[in-house]
Amino acid sequence: MAPTPPTDAELDVMIRARLASLGIDLDQLPPGTASDPATGAPGRDSVLASLRSFVRTSVTVIAAYQLPGADPALSQQPAPMLYPSISTEWRK
Amino acid sequence: MSTVDRRAFLARTAAVAAAAAAGASAIPGVAWAGGPARFGAGAYVRPRPEAFADPTELTLAEAAWMIKNGRLTPAELVEAYLTRLGAYEPVYQAFNTVLAEQARAAAKAAGKRRHTGPLHGVPLAIKDNYWTAGVRTTANSYLFQDFVPPYDATAVARLKANGAIVLGKTQMGPLATTRATTPDGRITTVNAWTPTIPGTDPGGSSTGTATSVAGRMATSGTGTQTGGSITAPSNAQNLTGLKPTMGRVSLAGIIPLSYTRDHPGPLARDAKDAAIMLTAMAGEDPADPRTQGLPRVPDLIEAATPVYAGRKVRARWSTRIGVLPGYADGTSATALARQAFLSTVDKIDGVRLVEVPLPDEWDLLTGGAFNNVRLPERSEPFMPYLRTDLRGFGVSVTGWLQGALLGANEFVTGQRAKLLLLERVLDQIFGRCDVVVQTGPVPFDILGLPEIGFPIGFTTADVPIGTILGGEPYAEDRLLSVVAAYQAVTDWHWRRPPNPPASAAVTALRSSPAAGDRGRLTAEDVTALMQ
Repeated sequence: MAPTPPTDAELDVMIRARLASLGIDLDQLPPGTASDPATGAPGRDSVLASLRSFVRTSVTVIAAYQLPGADPALSQQPAPMLYPSISTEWRK
Repeated sequence: MSTVDRRAFLARTAAVAAAAAAGASAIPGVAWAGGPARFGAGAYVRPRPEAFADPTELTLAEAAWMIKNGRLTPAELVEAYLTRLGAYEPVYQAFNTVLAEQARAAAKAAGKRRHTGPLHGVPLAIKDNYWTAGVRTTANSYLFQDFVPPYDATAVARLKANGAIVLGKTQMGPLATTRATTPDGRITTVNAWTPTIPGTDPGGSSTGTATSVAGRMATSGTGTQTGGSITAPSNAQNLTGLKPTMGRVSLAGIIPLSYTRDHPGPLARDAKDAAIMLTAMAGEDPADPRTQGLPRVPDLIEAATPVYAGRKVRARWSTRIGVLPGYADGTSATALARQAFLSTVDKIDGVRLVEVPLPDEWDLLTGGAFNNVRLPERSEPFMPYLRTDLRGFGVSVTGWLQGALLGANEFVTGQRAKLLLLERVLDQIFGRCDVVVQTGPVPFDILGLPEIGFPIGFTTADVPIGTILGGEPYAEDRLLSVVAAYQAVTDWHWRRPPNPPASAAVTALRSSPAAGDRGRLTAEDVTALMQ
């Protein structure tokens, strides 16, 4: 059974916790939705809304992607390739 | 470890140790030290009659012919550009930094030096994310506003070794994300074709380079492309921009955006000029392993030289141009220009149009989510800044935070998907054709495949329309050959924008340096538009 999708509040906690675990404090940004007049940096509420959308539309889509193969745990999936065009030279 | 690799490793280690011992921040890498490239006679083109009178009208190949034949000195060429800069730069705002005195001195020295090749004494515009020794390199970001590199990026060093002169550093989207703005989002650079309408997209993020070349304030220039940043401004401003295969040009000494997708390359006036620039920029670099072990750089100058059968242009190599579904559908100005382009190339002997399918799962694997796999590549090297100076990213910060949120599982899945996508592109597209039209730059940016953007028409408002061809790995020569043949039978690439009206220049001069009234991108805009 698929888990219940997280609420906005739950995502906010996750996002803040993830960033904090990396040493990034979102409170460096201005409070609310107004951007910093000096630098144009967005308010932290605006950023949180954008990051929630990112999690829902990018992270979950990529995570859900099933590479070709009947049984992902047993199949030989394509190798991860940082530089696919360069790899054509040593794969000839 | 091979002898060469070991030598490079030791050199870098020594450089870092020396910097640390001096108390400076350790800057990895060492300056590239090599000689000029080899160019054939095809790099020199006798100018068109109308270009003799105005050095800023000359293509790079024409300027090379003039200088080689003693009809123009580097000093005269540089001075002609500086005169235009003085008149129109307040309107265009294409440059971050103009190196007038350095360029004059370099031109004077070039005039006394033995001729080095087609770039000898030719002034170029360099995007401001390329390191330039002793010259501020900002990437239009608060984070680098005071950064003065100790040496040139390898690509810059190669251009200079071939005799080129750095005329200035160009405006760009902050950290190479969008069209050129200040770090807080205020629009700076305009499209050279609509200088009084700042809202017209000039293309980004290599905006200033495009505007300077289109506006005849530099002969040619450099850009970087992560998500269309060479082909988009080239298409927007009637230029020929070449994004080479990943690894063709060293990324050493270029401020990174996304390390698997940043491609340095030229923005030029035609295929021949792009070939000259790339010939100088390309090649192995001990400081960038991505450049090593690759096929040799082919004769790009020859590839970009049209071939004639009698008086009729023919393809240098028999070439099948793949046409993706929907490429020229509709009645928009772009669709009509694409239809005319296909009709024109189809008439060139040796060219054949073939329909090719979109590979399986194309929309998914090249769409928004999988495009975002690139984002951790920008957050990871910037972690010290993200921890201490989020506001220093200005309007661009959100993309860096997104990157920090993407998990390692998703990143690995994305890398697996790249290989899957490449194999489908090679099999399902390039199994049927040699080059392929593109409806957008991102798919081949994901894969590191070469693309060339070039002009194919204009809107009724005289705004340029361009298109993009994509090629197989290391097939820049094939792309250049097709565009050279097309440009031999069309004249779009010869058209230049009119000078800005005098009133626009006066208005610009009286406005504030930031020119805030040109509009402003918000952080939300940048998130939606970023490369």
